[in-house]
Amino acid sequence: MGWQQSLQESDVSKVRTIYLNEPLRNSFCKNSISTAKYSMWSFLPRYLYLQFSKAANAFFLFITILQQIPDVSPTGKYTTLLPLMMILMVSGIKEIVEDYKRHMADKLVNTKTTIVLRENAWKMIMWKEVIVGDIVKASNGQFLPADMVLISSSEPQVTCYVATSNLDGETNLKIRQALLETAEMQTEKQLSSLSGKIECEGPNRHFNTFIGTLYLNGKSPVPIGPDQILLRGTQLKNTQWILGIVVYTGFETKFMQNSIKLPLKRSNVEKVTNVQILVLFLLLLAMSLVSCLGAILWNDWYRKGIWYIRTKDYSSHSLGFDLLVFIILYHNLIPISLLVTLEIVKCVQAMFINWDEDMHCKGNNVYAMARTSNLNEELGQVKYLFSDKTGTLTCNIMTFKKCTIAGIIYGNQSDRSDINLEKLSLSPSVITESCEFNDPKLLQNFENDHPTKDYIKEFLTLLCVCHTVVPERDGKNIIYQASSPDEAALVKGVKKLGFVFTTRTPTSVTVEAMGENFTFEILNVLEFSSNRKRMSVIVRTPTGNLRLYCKGADTVIYERLSEDSRFMKETLTHLEYFAKEGLRTLCVAYADLTEEEYQQWLTQYEKASTVIQDRMRSLEECYDNIEKKFLLLGATAIEDRLQARVPETITTLLKANIRIWVLTGDKRETTINIAYSCKLLSAHMPHIQLNSNSFEATQQAVTQNCEALGTRLGKENDLALIIDGETLKYALHSEIKRSFLNLALSCRAVLCCRLSPLQKAEIVNLVKNHVGAITLAIGDGANDVGMIQMAHVGVGISGNEGVLATNNSDYSIAQFSYLEKLLLVHGAWNHFRVTKCILYCFYKNVVLYIIELWFAFVNGFSGQIIFEHWCISLYNVIFTSLPPFTLGIFEQCCSQKSLLTHPQLYRISQAGNTFNTKVFWFQCLNALIHSFILFWMPMKMLEHDMVLQGGHTTDYLFLGNFIYTYVIVTVCLKAGLETLSWNKFSHLAIWGSILIWLVFLAIYSFVWPTIPIAPEMRGQVNMVLVCPHFWLGFFIVPIVCLILNLIWKLIINTCNRTLLEEIRELESSRAQGLYPPKMFKRRVEATKLRMSVASTLQKIVFPNESFDQSIPHGYAFSQVEQAVITQEELVRSYNTTKSKSSKISMDSSDSR
Amino acid sequence: MKRTSKDSQCKLPDNTALKQQQLPAYQLQLSATGVLSGFFATGVFCLGVGIILILSAKSIKEIEIKYTEICGNCAKLREDATNFDKECTCSIPFYLSETMQGNVYMYYKLYGFYQNLYRYILSRSNSQLVGTDLKDVGNCAPFSKSHDGTPIAPCGAIANSIFNDTIILSYNLNSSIPIKVPMLRSGITWWTDKYVKFQNPSSINLSSAFAGTTKPPSWAKPVYELDEEDPGNNGFLNDDFIVWMRTAAFPTFKKLYRRLNRIQYFTEGLPAGNYSFNITYTGDQKSSRDVAMEARDWSDTRKALSSKECKQPLEAEKSKNILP
Repeated sequence: MGWQQSLQESDVSKVRTIYLNEPLRNSFCKNSISTAKYSMWSFLPRYLYLQFSKAANAFFLFITILQQIPDVSPTGKYTTLLPLMMILMVSGIKEIVEDYKRHMADKLVNTKTTIVLRENAWKMIMWKEVIVGDIVKASNGQFLPADMVLISSSEPQVTCYVATSNLDGETNLKIRQALLETAEMQTEKQLSSLSGKIECEGPNRHFNTFIGTLYLNGKSPVPIGPDQILLRGTQLKNTQWILGIVVYTGFETKFMQNSIKLPLKRSNVEKVTNVQILVLFLLLLAMSLVSCLGAILWNDWYRKGIWYIRTKDYSSHSLGFDLLVFIILYHNLIPISLLVTLEIVKCVQAMFINWDEDMHCKGNNVYAMARTSNLNEELGQVKYLFSDKTGTLTCNIMTFKKCTIAGIIYGNQSDRSDINLEKLSLSPSVITESCEFNDPKLLQNFENDHPTKDYIKEFLTLLCVCHTVVPERDGKNIIYQASSPDEAALVKGVKKLGFVFTTRTPTSVTVEAMGENFTFEILNVLEFSSNRKRMSVIVRTPTGNLRLYCKGADTVIYERLSEDSRFMKETLTHLEYFAKEGLRTLCVAYADLTEEEYQQWLTQYEKASTVIQDRMRSLEECYDNIEKKFLLLGATAIEDRLQARVPETITTLLKANIRIWVLTGDKRETTINIAYSCKLLSAHMPHIQLNSNSFEATQQAVTQNCEALGTRLGKENDLALIIDGETLKYALHSEIKRSFLNLALSCRAVLCCRLSPLQKAEIVNLVKNHVGAITLAIGDGANDVGMIQMAHVGVGISGNEGVLATNNSDYSIAQFSYLEKLLLVHGAWNHFRVTKCILYCFYKNVVLYIIELWFAFVNGFSGQIIFEHWCISLYNVIFTSLPPFTLGIFEQCCSQKSLLTHPQLYRISQAGNTFNTKVFWFQCLNALIHSFILFWMPMKMLEHDMVLQGGHTTDYLFLGNFIYTYVIVTVCLKAGLETLSWNKFSHLAIWGSILIWLVFLAIYSFVWPTIPIAPEMRGQVNMVLVCPHFWLGFFIVPIVCLILNLIWKLIINTCNRTLLEEIRELESSRAQGLYPPKMFKRRVEATKLRMSVASTLQKIVFPNESFDQSIPHGYAFSQVEQAVITQEELVRSYNTTKSKSSKISMDSSDSR
Repeated sequence: MKRTSKDSQCKLPDNTALKQQQLPAYQLQLSATGVLSGFFATGVFCLGVGIILILSAKSIKEIEIKYTEICGNCAKLREDATNFDKECTCSIPFYLSETMQGNVYMYYKLYGFYQNLYRYILSRSNSQLVGTDLKDVGNCAPFSKSHDGTPIAPCGAIANSIFNDTIILSYNLNSSIPIKVPMLRSGITWWTDKYVKFQNPSSINLSSAFAGTTKPPSWAKPVYELDEEDPGNNGFLNDDFIVWMRTAAFPTFKKLYRRLNRIQYFTEGLPAGNYSFNITYTGDQKSSRDVAMEARDWSDTRKALSSKECKQPLEAEKSKNILP
């Protein structure tokens, strides 16, 4: 909602004044932009600030500072600094690489060239040199370098067209028109003699507002509005050139004002991890306090005994000092490398998503893209999926599939083309040219003088004439440009039947029907609006008659039919049949007008079109007067095609226990149609329809339904809830919000239609805040941005409709069906990986550092460390750094094939049982036991000091090296035990880490005194590695530790098998060429049985009027309303007989 | 159990098994049979090792005698601080019923002496001990400098608290004349200690090398007079000193004192018979102490290990600790 609200809030900003042709008086920000985080100089301070504002890093910095106090650190002065530096360096390098890319991208943008009027001549300069007040000349296809006021253009009426898809995601072109006062200024001389000023509002982020005034010397001031503004980032289309005065540059442009960084989303796992780090910190404090207490007691007890360190000096240290010693001693309990490990692991996981060939749309060569890597594991936990309809579930491609003319249905052999359809939908580029309507019967009837021949002719002619489509000849082909995809589909469909719409002039359309040309003079266009639900044209037919053609929703057409109209009943049944199939229907009808009638109406119309107040309404009333006494011809049925594999994907996701809510701005009828065709709703599923227009009615409906559900409220029922935006407004009222939510959560599917973008975000927010489950929103358009940002995970559909949704999303995929792989495979894997990695990082640190506590019990709580300083500080960054990576990057709980064929597996990660406080404590307890064994066994081994050849005695570090080696072996093997899928990297990491330590030990024991570090280590390797005890322990101690885990796993595996283990077993037996074990079969059968029982139990019929099983009519029509130029003007402004100097292409825009 | 990467056949050049996460991998399956058989195998292995350890531990002979109480009068004497420099000796006779064969080592053992205290371990100067910088006493507090500011060599609490009882073992061959059992003090240190970590400062003679430093407060003699007969054992190179400087891990620890020189009567080891320890009780250490003799056979196996067992169901036997 933040996005929406910030759009609504008013930016109170200063007025800016721009003086024309006086560059020295205009001083505003430069036009060069930088999206980079750092500059060369600001990198170090800024980066360090960002890093140390993370609690963990700040903690380690604090420890590093503490270590500088003389004598306080038992682990040396720089032993925390070094790993911290290494970690900062690694993530620093990552930041630099990312920032370098941004710098390069910025440079590319800043050095683009444009033409600007400088010193009375046109000069080519770079974008970054453009300043406020410059007069810029841009030509067709160019992107505009800054926000500017249009002063003149090559086109008639000084208009120009811009594509704004970069900004708002809409693909239809926008028309801008310059002020007539400036329209004539085209030459250099005129322009450079221009003097005066522009006053306008300060920079803000609202695309659709602009308030300014142009003061030209010697003329009266002229207001400037949004229709004169060209924005940075938009592209000039269908216009040879334009001239504009720059008003906002660089960061002050609306484009840049809108590209403010989104708030960072944090994953659930990350939040839990932070809490656990805090818990560990508390544990650290507790351990330090216990040790301090131990030290006090010990000192009291032994005060006299320890003459050898002069207790008088010793006891002078205060309690606080001791506490610091112990905090430093145990500080590594908090895994220093966890954050950076996770960062890298998630980065690689994101790369895997980007590389995935299964999510690569071959048609437009778009790969899936992880725009953030923070949320990878969240993908494995999604419980609620909020999906947009248009462009997400559907392709937003309309095809004319069926029709009914004079009571006869055509195009009704759908089954045959289904296979074809499947194939086609894989490549969207092919679809646009295809037309599904293919029924030879229609033409046969037409040619063979069937009784309905005249109706057929009239029907097809109507579809050719009554629309706002513009034909464009491209050699032999005719390409239809339409702002309404429905109309384009109809015109294309009719073309295939031999009625070709060929030419449009401002006053006429020409239709080539069966080889003959007919020209219809267009007298009036009675515009479409969602209120009227219809559109008509009044034409003079080639025979000279006046006729009104109308197409629209069945309800509005039927109430305007004359008594003479036939086939009403048949058509109505056909309409219902179409709607059941999920098709969008339009009724078509015509009326013949007499001359007087028309003239009479025309005077009315002229009066109405000059009304100043409420012109729209008076026009509509006027239209209504002539749209009557229709004769019904029939109806069309258009298919809003689903994207590839949508029904299958939805079925899989439902099996994976994901609840799917469809949130759309579209109409109730179309939404339900789509829900049926994508198998979200099934025929036997009862609906709860909420459709009230007052608070009381809504409240009553909600309460009634809640009561009807009774005990099943709150459980999952095989029900569908359908609600529209109006009702939702009341339902979200704080009084009934809770019960509405309960009702919605009890339904398997929820459809919300007619929602504003804000409401979409509100619903997501409601579920997010009240349910505590992970939500995912998927959408493709600008109106989905709110919910995409609001949900835990936002997914954008890329490649179709602009970039706004994609830019605001966390992941972008090319098709809805890729969600299956993204969630079930990547999500589940990443969840397993990340949680294993985190738990393992905690485990390994607890194992090593708790040993210090055990050692404290034998060294009088003096704070002595049992290992060598540098060994301990390199533990996290070298010796055990690799296994977390392999766990986090390569671990696979089972193959992707199994994950996709058994969607039930998703429930494991969804429930999050693999990572919660309980698991965390269990892992800590395990680590505690391990550390105890790891300390106790070598202690017993060396207690008697006589283990070496030649009777030599040992020292504390000898014990330390034993323990350290065993810790590394144990910890690495534990990683191996956690790894379910061992690939070559796992082997490398596990055996490699052990080897690295042994090699390090060997080298490190020869360093002193050549390099003045580690004197205690000198000679250790000679003694440790030749000691047979060491090797015996090398095998036995880790085995003793891990045998506990192994037994535990075995017990779980045998006695309490989960589906995952069954499937893993199945996989491995399949790999060995064995048949699936019997047990598995039984299990699968049992699961199936359970599910079927559940579904029969949930099948309920409610005696409630809002439970609705009937399918309403599927009327749907999309058309842009209230554009700068009306539909009539649009129709009038084209002449396709002329060579196109100014071609306009209006791409499909949908209604949502 | 290998997963083939068949289904990820490359469509694009960079469409590798790695990028598509299709790397062949071994699936770790914990089947009951597999784990249990591994379990039993490990058990058998541990059993074998255990038996060998028990046998070898049995072949080790050890005598341990606590002399703090036997030399009680000396200990009492020391409790009075004024008598700290008075020499006090005591003799402890014992009878060896069986020959101790092989190499025989003599250890001293201290109880409740915390060589592992943080401030104790810190209190030494490795750069001083390596002979490069005698004046480097930075970490040695509180034993870095004497009252007049002269640096102490060797400085620090470890050096200051050196164990300096002398223990002489005599053999009463004919129950009349005791023979001093020949003992070697060489080779009782780690090789790296003697030849790398501990070096005397280079000079004409040792006393001039240590000029400008003073002895640790508890020491009777300065460091360059520890063994005036053998220059290879004098100064920082003194074996007893080096052994002491390797700080033990536990408050009860043994340190190697002497090893038997296998000549004359003692070529086979220590023959059975009457022996006595003659101990010069020095220093003001209040820790109780032992002297221990240990003989080792060819096997040279270690007692200590026998106290360690595998936690396997099959290998439940815990070999006995052979304590004196």
